[in-house]
Amino acid sequence: MTLSLEIKKLKRTGYFPAFIGAGFIASAFPVINMLARAQTFTALSGDPLTILMDANWQMMAMINILICVCGSCIMYHTEYADNGLQKMDVLPVRSGALFITKFVITALILAIIIVMETAVLAGCALHWFPGRGLSLWELLKTAGFQWLITLPTVMMMLVIASAWKNMWISLGIGVILVFALSILPQDLLILNLCPFSSPYQTYAMAVQNDRVSLFLILCPVETPGLGLLEMFYQKIRRCVQ
Amino acid sequence: MNMIETRNLTKTYGDFTAVSHLNMHIQKRRVYGFLGPNGAGKSTTMKMFLGLTRPTEGQFYIDGKTYPKDRMSILKEIGSFIESPAFYGNLTGEENLEIIQKLLGLPKGSVSDALELVGLGPFRKRLAKKYSLGMKQRLGLAGALIGHPPILLLDEPTNGLDPAGIHEIRTLIRSLPRQYDCTVLVSSHLLPEVELMADDIGILNHGRLLFEGTLDDLKASARNAGFPTDNLEDTFLAMIDADNQRGGR
Repeated sequence: MTLSLEIKKLKRTGYFPAFIGAGFIASAFPVINMLARAQTFTALSGDPLTILMDANWQMMAMINILICVCGSCIMYHTEYADNGLQKMDVLPVRSGALFITKFVITALILAIIIVMETAVLAGCALHWFPGRGLSLWELLKTAGFQWLITLPTVMMMLVIASAWKNMWISLGIGVILVFALSILPQDLLILNLCPFSSPYQTYAMAVQNDRVSLFLILCPVETPGLGLLEMFYQKIRRCVQ
Repeated sequence: MNMIETRNLTKTYGDFTAVSHLNMHIQKRRVYGFLGPNGAGKSTTMKMFLGLTRPTEGQFYIDGKTYPKDRMSILKEIGSFIESPAFYGNLTGEENLEIIQKLLGLPKGSVSDALELVGLGPFRKRLAKKYSLGMKQRLGLAGALIGHPPILLLDEPTNGLDPAGIHEIRTLIRSLPRQYDCTVLVSSHLLPEVELMADDIGILNHGRLLFEGTLDDLKASARNAGFPTDNLEDTFLAMIDADNQRGGR
């Protein structure tokens, strides 16, 4: 029930259109890239999905992270703008449950846009790399991996957005983190595992560096770990309010 | 029987004491008027009842239940309106109440009942952000009244309403104990308003309860202390002034 209520709260906020729009922009990127520089990529040897991911994923991941930043800010701006969250606080509903539901909604819509993006990459592979083989299993593994490693970023951004009533502060912090972590060296493992940095990793890159299991273990641990920060924040908020 | 009772309830922020050793007694099925100048601690007290802020010291009991152990159970019994109307501007008045109705597990009809009760029936489909100040205030009240909770906490509920609206809400609040067996704690700056609405009165200044009792008790106590008793406003101002001259805290 909380899920349907949280979805209802997002009515007319532009949240879902923003995610779908970002999904379209990110999906359009590999198509435009291939239209402009097809020969550069088709001349490369190897798995077409890996070639396409290497060529496009950095930009696509950045769009995904940016929409998660904006989405989280929209969610909490809706709560704070007219004190809606204060009303929720005086109703018999656990604020932790509301936060987790927001995370679930963002994770689900993110899954939809990642599936959309992977489908477009598959379409590009079939169109520009005919006869070079494309496995559905590989596609599913890639989409699942990219989704899973983006979840800590989603969680962290929701924690940030919930902490500031002024949406511009959360948005500013989010955007600074997006750009700060994208310019840091990507070969440092510890940085690769950080929220806002991990989504830039690709499945092929992780396989090559033998880090798939590391990401598959750490990201699902990191996500609830960051969620605990929110629970702690909600506890201290009651003492200082 | 006391529906709400506090024992030495205290809230401090650093070295500032917002509420100091408060001992309140709110009887069942009565309207309790909570009076005090700005910053006296009325809203802080109400926020503590709702678990929005944690008491530094002391306890309170609501219908025999304690905080923080029974917070969820307490919230199920309370309808509240604190400081300013709280709603989702992107939703219509009706959608706002539907969220509360679903969270409280109330029947669907309770939404239209609450909207009609505060006179928002014709505007149910309008976005809450497009409501006038008075309409937002009414929506906040509808959110508190929905499902006829046994306890109502209303913090300056008539702010922003026109005289007709004030009269209407006052009549409504006055009728609640009789109609719905409801206990009401209402704070207001409008002293004549409280005089017309409340059965009991509590006067708060600098976080301390200066008086608690019925209007007749207040008049008798004021007369004994040499304060004017012609109207509540004069009595209230004289009491606050005397307390401030004594040093307040």
